[in-house]
Amino acid sequence: MSIKFAPWKVGVVGLAALGIVAGCLVGPGGYDGTVGVGYVGGYYAPGGYDYGGWGHGYRVAPPRGGPPAGHGGRGAPSIPSHPRGR
Amino acid sequence: MNVVLDRVRRHLARELFVVLACVACGAARAALPFNLPPVNDPASAEHHPGKVIWADLVTPNLAAAETFYSGLFGWTFQDIHTVDSDYGIVLLGGRPIAGVLQKAIPAGSDQRQPTWLTFIAVLDVDAARRIALSQGAKSVYEPRTYPRRGGQAVLSDPQGAVFAMLASTSGDPPDYLAMPGDWIWSSVFARDPNRDAGFYKAVFGYDVFDLPSDDGAQHVILSSDDYARAGINTLPPGHRLPHWLNFIRVADAGESSAKAAALGGRVLVEPFVDRHGGKIAVIADPMGAPIGLMEWSETDSKVEPQ
Repeated sequence: MSIKFAPWKVGVVGLAALGIVAGCLVGPGGYDGTVGVGYVGGYYAPGGYDYGGWGHGYRVAPPRGGPPAGHGGRGAPSIPSHPRGR
Repeated sequence: MNVVLDRVRRHLARELFVVLACVACGAARAALPFNLPPVNDPASAEHHPGKVIWADLVTPNLAAAETFYSGLFGWTFQDIHTVDSDYGIVLLGGRPIAGVLQKAIPAGSDQRQPTWLTFIAVLDVDAARRIALSQGAKSVYEPRTYPRRGGQAVLSDPQGAVFAMLASTSGDPPDYLAMPGDWIWSSVFARDPNRDAGFYKAVFGYDVFDLPSDDGAQHVILSSDDYARAGINTLPPGHRLPHWLNFIRVADAGESSAKAAALGGRVLVEPFVDRHGGKIAVIADPMGAPIGLMEWSETDSKVEPQ
């Protein structure tokens, strides 16, 4: 018994097979010879770092314009003040 | 008999076709590069080494994270699913500003927690990474290139705070005041801010400024292009693990904190007035990832820190 395929089916199956081969032949590139396939990353931090204990006087934010004197007589700059599109 | 054989033959041919098509689709999907969006769209030749230009959240539950952050900041998401990655691109006003990667919490005895990873702009990942390693950093993830984003690598600084460097192929976003819902500030909490500042200066070329403090804790500003890019604070007493923390601009830190709690998050630091005259707070999302909230008015505030 021989199985005969319609010509269009043979074409589609051929293309699919070509896709598989091409998929297996993705070449290297990038800094370390790898291009990202899937995302490499996702760093989970060690458990146990906590917050709170930011007592009176604990400051985290940047200064505004007109900052206090810093190194070499220059004041620390602030973040950009102009909104996008203006 | 021939009729039966013919039916079997047709059935087998159909099944074979379906199987091969599925295999081909799966292989092609697995082989596709992870198609991250460009950091800067439209692309430009503008670069700001030292600027924080991206952040990635790792979480065990992408859907829950998207629900929380869309409810809190009005973010929308565009998901990318590949065979081994589920990643949501965070959009603010249609512009990508961050990513959320779903990944199972590693099994093991040491407890791990979801966190936001800070990406700092560099011109050349290899060169910046070499300097960082020579200054005492450790590699967390080797350099990797994503076609439209650029090259990136993840490291921990000499005191253990983890950060990423990113050489964007589309240039860096221009400097502007963050709109509500966007990143406005980043801080490192370190055991020795001065030594940490020396490290970041060597790697990113920052100018470094000490700010006066009321409580003896150090507060150092890292700047480039004459803009403050990040701060380094002394870890509060009793805290042991250096880390980065990124802040989102909000209109009202009190309201946003309450909303975060209503959405299943926790308030880690209650809102308080900081040196810039606005309030800041720290919350954790329902999976435990900390994120800062910061008010910032467009006009100079007359409110004095308390």
